Amino acid sequence: MNATVLETPLARPRPPAEAPDERTLVKRAKEGDMTAYDGLVRLYQERIYATIYHMTSNHEDANDLAQETFIKAFQALKSFKGDSSFFTWVYRIAVNKTINFLKQRKNRTHLSLNDLDFNAEHDRDLVALISDKNPRREVNLTELQEKLNAAMHKLSDVHRLVVTLHDVQGLSHEEIGKIMDCNTGTVRSRLFYARQQLQAYLSDYLK
Amino acid sequence: MTMSNAPENFNDLRKLLALKRHEQPPPGYFNHFSDKIIARIEAAGLAAQTQWWQRMFTSIEARPILACAYGLLIGGLLVVGMGVSQSAEADYATAPALANPWFTAAPLPVSAPRVGDPAAAQLVSQTDPASSVNPVISSGPPSFLFDVNGLKVERASATFR
Repeated sequence: MNATVLETPLARPRPPAEAPDERTLVKRAKEGDMTAYDGLVRLYQERIYATIYHMTSNHEDANDLAQETFIKAFQALKSFKGDSSFFTWVYRIAVNKTINFLKQRKNRTHLSLNDLDFNAEHDRDLVALISDKNPRREVNLTELQEKLNAAMHKLSDVHRLVVTLHDVQGLSHEEIGKIMDCNTGTVRSRLFYARQQLQAYLSDYLK
Repeated sequence: MTMSNAPENFNDLRKLLALKRHEQPPPGYFNHFSDKIIARIEAAGLAAQTQWWQRMFTSIEARPILACAYGLLIGGLLVVGMGVSQSAEADYATAPALANPWFTAAPLPVSAPRVGDPAAAQLVSQTDPASSVNPVISSGPPSFLFDVNGLKVERASATFR
């Protein structure tokens, strides 16, 4: 593997570019236009849900928390000054809500994993991970998914969040720093530590 | 293929983490997601908090020129209102009272007549004494049920033997 591949992982989602009409939607939503707020929700619902889901590994919890995030965002919309993008702002609300929820839940972790989509079976890298060359060929994708989520939950909330935002969601270090209210150096060190931990937990499933 | 368990090489781990991107909620989950949120916001009455005046202030904040225009307009209206009010007061003070038809129609103030006053006696004679709105005034002594003045008083005498 060369360094170029490392920097361009497959299927990595693009960093969330600000939608061209985000400012307009925010302005109209602040004036009480519910159609505009509906547009904002539609713009970010999938990424917000996904972040919360990867943090909780529970669909029902993610559903509740994602809804509460957007309701809270609407309530606090008047205080949104536009210093950061709406995307970063609503992400911060989601992250704070999720971490508070996880603190309250503590050890009562109940995984309720979503099904893998059809594309997972055709993902070249994933197929390669469980290919004939792999001594653990018998491991299927669903089992791998369970092991991966179990390993993720061994991380602290902060480390799981960094891995989720960077390696799963594809956000940059700078964006993660804004969301977590820390500098990029802290983000990098947390990411490195989290990856080390995960690599140790999942060593049996990595070539 | 080299082993990637070295701490610095997380390539395979990142490929494995990519599996999580394929975890998707039930089909159609996002079709009505925003509708549920809007419904919850409206059910909680949060949307109603944005009244017309709040929206006006929000729009004013975004447009300082409009804010100045509003300020000038309100200030101008205030000055005009004060001017009209003062001129109306001045007209009221200088106008002759009898020129006002309402003023002439108004009854003169009536003071209670004193007993024994000839003018009062005349007034009493002109008014209906049975009226409940007029004061009960009589120039003569009050009449009683028994005419005390008509009684003859004689000296009592008695003889004792």
